[in-house]
Order: sequence, then C-alpha cells, then structure tokens
Amino acid sequence: MTFDGTDFYAALIHELKNDLGVLSMALGGIPLRGEAAHDAAVDSARLLCQGMVDRLHQALLIYKADHQPIHPVLDACSPHDLVQAIAASAHALARDRLHVETAIAADTPVLWFFDRELVEMALVNAIHNALAHARSSIRIEAGMDAGCLALRVRDDSPGYPESLLESVADGRPYAATGTGLGLRFARLIAHSHDNRGRRGELRLGNDPGAVFSLLLP
Amino acid sequence: MPPTPDSDDFIDYGSLRALVVDDSPGMRNALRLTLSNFGITRIQMVANAAEAIFQIKNRSYDFILCDFNLGEGRDGQQLLEELRHGNLISLESVFMMVTAESHYEKVVATAELAPDDYMIKPFSAELLCSRLTGILLRKRAFRDVYWNFQEQDLNAAIAACDTLILGKPKYAVDAMRFKGELLVALGRFEDAENLYRQVVSMRAIPWARLGLARSLHLQKKHDAAEEELRDVLEQAPEMVVAYDLLSDVHLEKKDTVAAQEALEKGVAISGKTVRRQQKLGEIAYGNGDLDAASAAFDNVLEKGRHSIFVTPADFGNLCRVQLEQGDLEAVADTLKKNKSTLQANPEGQLVMAVTQSMVHTRTGNQQAAVKALDMAASLRAGGARGDAQLMLDLAGACMTNGRNEEADAVVAEVARNAHDSEALLAKAKRLYDEAGRADVGTGVLATATGDVRKLNNEGVVLAQRGDYKTAVEKLLTACDEAPYNPRILMNAVWVMLKYLDQVGMDETMLETARTRLREAERQAPGHPRLGGLRLQMKDVENRFGIQRKAAG
Repeated sequence: MTFDGTDFYAALIHELKNDLGVLSMALGGIPLRGEAAHDAAVDSARLLCQGMVDRLHQALLIYKADHQPIHPVLDACSPHDLVQAIAASAHALARDRLHVETAIAADTPVLWFFDRELVEMALVNAIHNALAHARSSIRIEAGMDAGCLALRVRDDSPGYPESLLESVADGRPYAATGTGLGLRFARLIAHSHDNRGRRGELRLGNDPGAVFSLLLP
Repeated sequence: MPPTPDSDDFIDYGSLRALVVDDSPGMRNALRLTLSNFGITRIQMVANAAEAIFQIKNRSYDFILCDFNLGEGRDGQQLLEELRHGNLISLESVFMMVTAESHYEKVVATAELAPDDYMIKPFSAELLCSRLTGILLRKRAFRDVYWNFQEQDLNAAIAACDTLILGKPKYAVDAMRFKGELLVALGRFEDAENLYRQVVSMRAIPWARLGLARSLHLQKKHDAAEEELRDVLEQAPEMVVAYDLLSDVHLEKKDTVAAQEALEKGVAISGKTVRRQQKLGEIAYGNGDLDAASAAFDNVLEKGRHSIFVTPADFGNLCRVQLEQGDLEAVADTLKKNKSTLQANPEGQLVMAVTQSMVHTRTGNQQAAVKALDMAASLRAGGARGDAQLMLDLAGACMTNGRNEEADAVVAEVARNAHDSEALLAKAKRLYDEAGRADVGTGVLATATGDVRKLNNEGVVLAQRGDYKTAVEKLLTACDEAPYNPRILMNAVWVMLKYLDQVGMDETMLETARTRLREAERQAPGHPRLGGLRLQMKDVENRFGIQRKAAG
C-alpha cells in the first residue's frame, strides 16, 4: 500500500475523528447543573463536537468514494427499527431543546433491502441540519413512494434556501462545505442503492419546513 | 406506548448481566454509565481478552460489549473467534463490537464470525439501547431454533425456522439465512441451493449469493459456483469470504495458480485472518512460489501472535520455506524469536528438533544433526506428533543421516493415517526417489496403505452383508493402526452406529463412536460426511433415550 499525501490526510482525519469521538463522549458525561449559562454552553459544545465527528466520518467516505464507488452491503432491514434508532439518536442529540416525533405510514413494509449503516449516516446528517434550523420539532417518517421506501426528516424551520433546491433539481454539485457536503454525501448514498437498474434518490423540498427524503428502490 | 412487563416486546434490562471489554479505563467507565442509563446494572468490566475469557468461563453473560481495539494481546475479533470456536457463548448471548470505523463490518461479513452488531464510536445510550432491544427481541423469536440447534437436532431447528418464515415476516429473511446454513450442515446442498435462489429472487443480497455459490460448489457444480462468485465480487468487492470460496472452487478444478490469486486478493483486503494466510501459504508452497509462501507463513505468525488458530505446524511451515529458499539465517531467526513458544509443549519441541536436524544436515554438521534427530526420536517415543509434512521432513532428515529404519517407520505412520491422500503419498515417494531407495519406498508405502485399506474394505463389506459385529472389530483395528485417518474414523463411526441401530444398545460402543467422531472432526473439519454422521448419532441417542449432555 502506498502512503502518499492523500492517504496521509485520510489517516489524519480518521485519527481526529476518533479523538473527537472520545471528546464527544466526555462532553456527554458532564452533568447539567440547571444553570442556563453553564448548561447551554455544555450543550452546544456537545452538539458541535458530535456534528464534527459525523462530518469527518462522511468526509472519509466521500474520500473513499472518489477512488472507488460506494458499495452498499444490502441486507434485509426493518424500516420500523431504523426510524426508532434515528429517533433515539435525534433525541440524544436534541435533549430537551426540540421535540422529536416519528410517523410510520401503514404501507411501510416489514422488511426492506438497504445498507443500514449508510442510510443511518445519511439520515443522522439530516438530523444535524434540522437541529440547527428547526424551531421546535423534528419528525422522522417512513412510508412508500412509487415503489420506493421513502425515509424522511421533516422540521419546522423556514425551509431550504431556493438556491440549494435548484442545484439539487439540476443535479449540480453543491458547495463542498457545511450543509452542501452532507447533502452531497446523502445523494451518493441514495445513488449507490440500486435495484435492477433503478437507483435511489435524494429529494429536498419545503413543506413549509425543510423536508429531506431518501428514496430507496 | 412503552411496552409493559407482560408484553412480548418487554425487555427487563435490570435482569441482564453485561460484560464490558475495553482496554481504556475512561472508556470502560463511560460505557458503564451508558449501560446504566437504560437500566443495566449488573455489569462486569475487564480490560482485555484474557480477562474476558476468564469471566465468561465462570458465568454466562447476556450481553458482551467489546471494543475491537484492545491494545496489546488479542483484539476484539480474535476474542469473538475464540468464544465462538470454543462454544463459550451461546447463541442467545448478544456480542456487540465497538469500533472506530465503519469499514470493519464489511470485512468480517461471515455469519459465523460476525458479532450480532457493531457500534461506531461515539454512540449515545439511546442508540445502543435501540439496537440492543432489536437484537434481544430477535433472539427471543429464535429461541426454539437455537435450542434445537444446541441440542444438535438440526431437523427440529429447520422446522423452527420454517415456523418463523411463515409466521414472523420481520424475521423471515434472518430465518432463511439460518436455515440455509442448517441445510448445508446436513449435506442437503440442493435444498440449500433452492432456498438461496428464493432469497436472491427477492433481492440479490451478498450473503444469499455467497450461500448459493457455496451450495453449488458443494454439489460440484464448479463453473456455476465460479460464475456466481465473480458476480458477487463485482457487486460487493470487499466480501473477503467470497475470495476464500473462489479459491476452494479453483482448487477443486485443480487450478492451484488461480486458487492462489483468489486468496491473494482476499488477503489484500483483510490479511488479519490466520486461516486465510495459512491456506495461502500452503497453496503458494505447493505452487513453488516460495516468496509468497514465506510471506504468508510469516504473516500467520505475525498477525496470529495471539490467535488460538496458530499451531506448532505454522512455525514448521515457515522454517521449511525459509530453508528451501536457502536462507538459513532466517530459519535461525524464526527459531530464536519463537523459542519460548515452541519450548512450551512437545509438539513445538518436535518442530524445533526436526527443523534443526534439517538445518544441520544442510550445513553438513552431522554431529548436531544426529543430536537433533535423537531429540525428535525421544519426543516421538513420548507421544509427540507433528503434521504430515513435518513428519515427512523428519523422515527425509533421517534418511540423509543413514537412519533408514527410523525413516521407514515415520513414513509408514504418515501413510497409514493418510492412505487415500495422493498428494502426501507422492511426497513420500519423492523422498525415497531422492535417497535412491525407490524400491524400498514402494514397499513401505504399499504395506502401510495396504494394511489399512484391507481392514477398511473388509469392514465395509462385512457391514454391507449385515455382519456388524465383525465389521466393527475390523474397523476399530484399523483405527488403532491409523488413529488420525479421517476416512477410517468416519467409516468406523458409521459401522458402530449401524451396529447400535441394528443389534442394540451398547454404552461403551456409543462412547467409542463419540470419541472417534470427535477425532474425525478434528482431523477433517467441515468434511461433508460429518453432518450426516452427527445426525445418525443423534438418532441413535434419541432412540435409546439418551440425553446428550449440554455442550460445554
């Protein structure tokens, strides 16, 4: 194996991610005092740290995807369990700041075939976005949409900016920073899921808050 | 609505016993806090694999949460392999691996060696709880399947899988996966093929396609298996086990070069698995690719430093290749570096003695060579045994040093225990050719294999005629002559079970049959006949109302 410049950066990011992970757990362990000044500061440090860990995680996957396509490891997974797990993560991140709810449509299949790890990462990403912009609540939904499993994260924010929605509609690359990076990543994951020639999709919309939808064939 | 204590979905976390394995004290405490967040209070914490095994041998745990990276010593995966291999954890226990990377799962995708789930650091108590609940509920649904499996009643386990497939849609695909493995274990390869095709028709998921390829391979449909595997690898190039199977398919087709290439690709993705490196070394050595062989054998010792799958034979293998490369310094270095490991048991001492005898023979130091051979002889007299290749090395060194009688006895022993292995017999014959004793060699091999073959054939014919009593006598004599010969062992077990079935119960014979079957399993793990014999054993036990003692 060669160890050229880019590999070095990948290894470095990997290590930083792990260190931040430990830091994030340490921050999570700081007890709240019931004093706004203290608690709010600890809470935002914790959220920021966890957000960085997730983002570095994505950066590594995107780096890998530059060299070779992402190969999802498909298996039969329960969309119900997935929604519960995402809600659990969202709840842990939001603590008491936001209300987290779930909605599983009656037509949601008992099992669906996807790479749980990748799909979770894409959705957690959407959760981070929602946490940053939502006013009071986040809703995680599952249902069917034209033969695909639709997984949605919905919030009560003012919605995605128009420019972003347009660039998604055109398939143009988004800015490689902030929200753009995460969305690019989610789109990669959606596309990597393929069923007999039909590819997954990422759809963004406003209704009126931001709606992030992952469609898996 | 949260589940209530009497509902199907309720998990009483307070009653669970958990073991946390992590080398960092800070992390251990963080994990304990995490677990106590959702009600797990009976928590034991240990820092490494050795302590974990000690705890697990003392009492059973419902949940093991283990960090992959455990510092010095075995890593989490090696611990898991050891636990599964030694039957130290039951199928009901949950083993979760904590890792820092998402890449881990894709490399260790074999069902047998995979944890129940893995958590990527850092994770919240909520996520861990949600995952754990899912697994515990699944294991609850599989209770009948596991119970029958642990009782070795594979047919009942299959029936329990069918109940899940029909009645619990959420677990239907998991149940099909387990059922496929049961069908393979029972030798019902065609049924397994059909089952995997059924899953693939739903969705071409990698494990189902791999299972399909395996059941094709076991039916000797090698071309179809190869085609399937190439497809799987295109879809999931990181699925290392597919390379292992592809290598086996090439071996069956006698294409040893392609078999080596397949394993090399697998090793490039995951070189940590000892079994894979061992196999690569053996095949590369057979291909005369000494560089690849020594690299692989070197890796076996390097990566497997803490693995239970490394045996004295692995040291012998590396030394043999280094010797053939003419690198005597490397041999000396290998022996020196591993001296304390090798000195620890007679098998290791035998490897040292044989290797030293070869080195001294090569350098012309006859006095030292004789001393090493004397050492080997006394170890053998004390009951030490090496693998067939080492024993042939010993025979070769004996012949070079004029100890022909001793050499012939060693070769005869190897031949008796492998009377149907063309490859080993050909190697033995080459030794004699090189020593200019071709005629003697032909005689030694013919006598050794002839005796065993005769006893075996007579036993089988007698059994077919219905004279089970004499058949058992013949085959047990054959077993005494060739106590490590898998074919003989399996025939003896088969005849004893026939006897018990037709003539009646005989406790002593049943125990003998059990012992011989265990030895056959040791000598030829995964042999396709073993599943059937295990099943017959179970039938005989059931008929005579003997409850098999719980494993472990």
